[in-house]
Amino acid sequence: MSADSAIDPEPVAVRPLSVDMRRLTRVGSRPSFLDYLVQLWDFRQFIFYDARARVQSGTRRDRLGSAWLILNPIFNGLTYYLIFGLLLKTSRGIENFVGYLVVGIFVFQFSSGAITSGARSIRSNKSVVQAFNFPRAALPIGANLRELLSAVPLLLAMLLIVVVLPPAEKITWLWLLIVPAILLQSLFNLGVGLILARIISRVHDVTHLLPFATRAWMYCSAIFYTYDRFINNPEMLTAIKLNPLFNVIDIIRDCVLYARVPQWQSWAILAAWALGALAVGLVYFWKGEESYGRG
Amino acid sequence: MDAAEQEIFIEGHPCVVVDSVQMRYRVPSTAADEVDGEQAGPRFLRRAVRKPNMVTVHALNELSLVVERGESVGIIGRNGSGKSTLMKIICGQSKPTAGAVYASSTPIMLGVNAALVQDLSGDQNVILGCLAMGMSRAEVDAKFSSIVELSGLEKSIHLPMKSYSSGMSSRLRFAIAASVDPEILLVDEALNTGDAQFADRSKLRMAELREQAGCVFLVSHSLDTIKDMCTRAVWLDKGDLIMDGDPDGAIRAYQDFTRHLSKGNNISATKILDDAKAGLVATEVRGRSSRRSRG
Repeated sequence: MSADSAIDPEPVAVRPLSVDMRRLTRVGSRPSFLDYLVQLWDFRQFIFYDARARVQSGTRRDRLGSAWLILNPIFNGLTYYLIFGLLLKTSRGIENFVGYLVVGIFVFQFSSGAITSGARSIRSNKSVVQAFNFPRAALPIGANLRELLSAVPLLLAMLLIVVVLPPAEKITWLWLLIVPAILLQSLFNLGVGLILARIISRVHDVTHLLPFATRAWMYCSAIFYTYDRFINNPEMLTAIKLNPLFNVIDIIRDCVLYARVPQWQSWAILAAWALGALAVGLVYFWKGEESYGRG
Repeated sequence: MDAAEQEIFIEGHPCVVVDSVQMRYRVPSTAADEVDGEQAGPRFLRRAVRKPNMVTVHALNELSLVVERGESVGIIGRNGSGKSTLMKIICGQSKPTAGAVYASSTPIMLGVNAALVQDLSGDQNVILGCLAMGMSRAEVDAKFSSIVELSGLEKSIHLPMKSYSSGMSSRLRFAIAASVDPEILLVDEALNTGDAQFADRSKLRMAELREQAGCVFLVSHSLDTIKDMCTRAVWLDKGDLIMDGDPDGAIRAYQDFTRHLSKGNNISATKILDDAKAGLVATEVRGRSSRRSRG
C-alpha cells in the first residue's frame, strides 16, 4: 500500500522570490520586554475575568462550596494546635499561641497556594495556551490574582478568630498595615510562580517536588514555634530572619496580636524579596515566551 | 530553465511568508527495541530510568510558500500528509523545527480545536475566549448574542462545559473562533463536525469570513469546495510539497493519483506523484527590508 516517491527529495527547480519583509512579523515571536508589559496591560480584562470566574468555580463540586476556602485552614490550624501546641508543647514562651498559630498558618497557606497555582498555570491551561494568542504571563498573573481574591475571606476569617477566641485582641489602627504586607507578599508569590511556571513547562517532574519544598519552607518559617529557639544557632537564625514569608508573618503578628509597630527591617527584607522576585520572574518568564504550550 | 535562475521580484507586501519550514517530532514508539545490552547496572534500574524507544517523525519536510493578499490557498493531500501540521505552524500553534513563518497580522485558525475551560460555564467561556483573542469587554458584550446564536446552544450556554456533548462543545468553540474578522484566516474543515442544521449555519459564517479576509488557507477533503473557493492549490504528500499551482491542475493530478491508489496500482500512482513533483518549481524566499535593501 506504499506509494513512496522514489526520486530524490531535492526539488528539480528552485525559483528565488524577493519578498518585502518590512511589514511582516514572525508568527509567535516574542516581543521586546517593554512591549510585552504593554501587551499584558492590554489583556488586563482577560486576566481579571479569568481570575474572577475561577474563584467561583473552584469549589463548586463540594457541598459546602466556598466555605471550604475558610474551613481548610481552620482544620489545618486545629491539627497543628493538637500536635505542636498540646502534644509537643512548642508553645512555651509564646503569648497567645492560638493567635500566633492561626496567623502563621493562614498567611503561609496563602503563599503556598498562590505559588503552586501560579507555577501550574501554564501546564493546566495548555489547551487555552494553544488555542489563543495572548501574552502567556497573563495566566500566572491571573492565577495569583485569583488566589489574592480568595484570600480576602480567608484573612477576614483569620482576623475574626483572633478577635473572638480568648485571649481576644483589640482592633487597632495597626491592622491597616496588613494590606501592604499582603500586597507585597502577593508580588513575591507572583515572582516565584512565574519562575516555576517556566521551569515546569519544560521539566514537568518539578511539580512532584513542589509539595516537599513548600513543606520544608513552612517548617523554616516559625509557624508553630518562636525563632528564639535558634538563638544559639546564628546561621539558622539569620536564615529565618531573611525568609520573606517569616517576615510577612512576623509583620502581621506584630500588628494583629501584639499591637506593636513592625520593625522597618522586616519591611525592607520583604519589599526587597517581593520586588526582586517579581523582576527576575517577569524577565525569566518572558525569555521563554515562545516555548509555552508548544511541542 | 530560465525561471530557475531569475529572481522574481514581488511588489507590495505579501500576507504570509512561509520560509523553509520543517517539522519533526521525537515520539516514543512501542516497536520492540533490541539493542542497549552493553549498559551497566542492574536490569530493573535500567528499566526504570530508560526512555522508551524514540523515533523521529518527519511531519513536514522543508517547504516555502509566499502568499499574497487576495489569494486563497487550498491544501490537499491524503491523511497524514502534513496538512494540519502546516496549518498549525502558520497560525503559530506549533513551532517549526526549522524555518519560520512571517505574517502581516496574527493568523486566526478557524476550527473546532479552540479548547476551553471545562469547569466554567458556556457563557463564561465565550467571554474568556473572546478576551483571550484580544477583544475588549465592550466588544465581547456586543458580539455575545451573535456568538450564542451561532453556537445554537440556547439555554445550555449557562451550564458548565464539562456537561456538554462533544458536538455541543465543538459548536461553541467554532462560534467563539468565528467571532473575530481576521485578515489571515485558516480553515481546517477536516476537523469540522456537527449536525446538519449547524453545518449550514457554520458554512454561511465561514463564507462571510472568507470574503472579508485578506487571504485564506483552506484544508478540506471536499475537492469541490477547494475548486470553488481557492485561487491556488498546494498538494502535500507524506510531508513533501508535490504541487503548487492553479487548483484545477493540482486537483486533477491528485484525483488521478488517488484513483490509481484505490485500484491498487501503486506503481502508476507513484509515477503520477513523481511526475507532479518533477514539474514542481520550489520557492526560495529572499527577504528584503528597508535596512538591507537589494533594490
